[in-house]
Amino acid sequence: MAAPLGKLKFGLAFVLVFLVANGLFAQKLREHNAGPGEKMVPAGDGHAVPAQAGPIGQAVVTGNGINYNGGPVLKGNPVPIYIIWYGNWNGTGSNTQATVNLIDTFLGANALGGSGYERINTTYGDTTGNVSGNLQLSKQVFDTGSQGTRLRNSRISAAISAQLTSGALPTDPNGVYLFLTSSNVSESGFCTQFCGFHTSQTLNGADIKWAFIGNVDRCPSGCEIQTTGPNSPAAGVGGADGMVNVITHESEEAITDPDLNAWFDSAGNEDADKCNFKFGPTQTAANGARFNQTFAGHNWMMQMEWENSRGGGCDQTLGGPFFTN
Amino acid sequence: MHFGTSAIIAVLGITSLSAAQEPVKPPLTHRIITATRQVSLFNGLEKELLQNVQSKNQKAIESALTDDCQIYQPDADPLGGPDWIDSVMAKDFSLKSFMIRQVSVVDLGDSAVVNYTRVQEATYKSKPANGEFFVVDLWKKAGGLWKLASRYVSRISSTATMPKGPIPPTGKQ
Repeated sequence: MAAPLGKLKFGLAFVLVFLVANGLFAQKLREHNAGPGEKMVPAGDGHAVPAQAGPIGQAVVTGNGINYNGGPVLKGNPVPIYIIWYGNWNGTGSNTQATVNLIDTFLGANALGGSGYERINTTYGDTTGNVSGNLQLSKQVFDTGSQGTRLRNSRISAAISAQLTSGALPTDPNGVYLFLTSSNVSESGFCTQFCGFHTSQTLNGADIKWAFIGNVDRCPSGCEIQTTGPNSPAAGVGGADGMVNVITHESEEAITDPDLNAWFDSAGNEDADKCNFKFGPTQTAANGARFNQTFAGHNWMMQMEWENSRGGGCDQTLGGPFFTN
Repeated sequence: MHFGTSAIIAVLGITSLSAAQEPVKPPLTHRIITATRQVSLFNGLEKELLQNVQSKNQKAIESALTDDCQIYQPDADPLGGPDWIDSVMAKDFSLKSFMIRQVSVVDLGDSAVVNYTRVQEATYKSKPANGEFFVVDLWKKAGGLWKLASRYVSRISSTATMPKGPIPPTGKQ
């Protein structure tokens, strides 16, 4: 009887090993299920695994649809943001203190800076380190119209320069200056070519990175996502939410390509350009507006950003699924 | 004064006059823009039309034009849509490559004025037809679709070449 019992033990052991292996394999398969739009990469054993988001700690990684061109990125933790509110921000519609408060919240502590969205930027770096994925409003000033209501680049430069030379704002080559205009202010090309732009130039002896963002209520069909946003004070007053979207675009690019010589693709598109007006899945707020992000006690509607890892793609949060629209 | 010298002076004079059509030519700004939704839309439509010219897709080209579309060029009679289609479909015309940039759109509701610069490499009757052009297009919305209603083309240069490597951001995109 000994021999048959030995065979039985061997058989039971074989079945046990088979079941354990089967269970492990099933677990592995479950782990490999990709979410919608999720990028899979070969694991080297014949299976596919979700690609890891990153690369934190690796300064320059290429091959993800966007190229490094040798220039620096902004690596502050947080990157300081300075705002010049230009024009009449005590007016009507979205030219109000409510817009100022909303954007202050958006760029304030525990908001955009450090969010999963902003951390998409940590996939960009230069030869000395990566972007922190954190930014924060440092200081803001108001200019009711020192350069008039018909602006061009040189007038914006003059208005920013005046703030630096007077000491109202610090002269900070590691920060980003946002020049936000009320809807009665025109800028050559605003609404016909662009909703905003960013650039860098020497002001007050330093390499200053600044961006223009106009109140998009001036051209809802061109620059607003929806006429009523998730934070609109009233139906049809979508300027503040529209500006939030453009601020996102310009601040991302000003950090990953501050001197226009760091990160852009072969067609000259920077990270945010590659996802311009692409939002991914959205939800609907109580007022009927669509939104795709929630933080700092508000819902926000913001374009996706190009993640420089896992082959590259537009996503709403670092490591999240990629979407094409 | 020799006839030749007079002719050169006359040509230079005409050239300088034509180059100075506007009193001020602002510099091209070194900046990276966030394109408007219309710029993205019409950038796509213009590229699609040019790609259909490249691939000689006559049906697609016809569907992109209004019935009374006209093409205007300097020193030439206006060209009707069908005649323009015949010219770009001709076997001796080949659009090898193109790039459009500095797209600007004035939104007028059911119509839009679109202007841009186009660089192209092409051949016509086996000779180079390269160039850089400034184009102003009028698009009309009909039945929910945008169609080209008229086009105004002026040549900037005959020697434009396509960039070979990555395009650095110059503010032109």
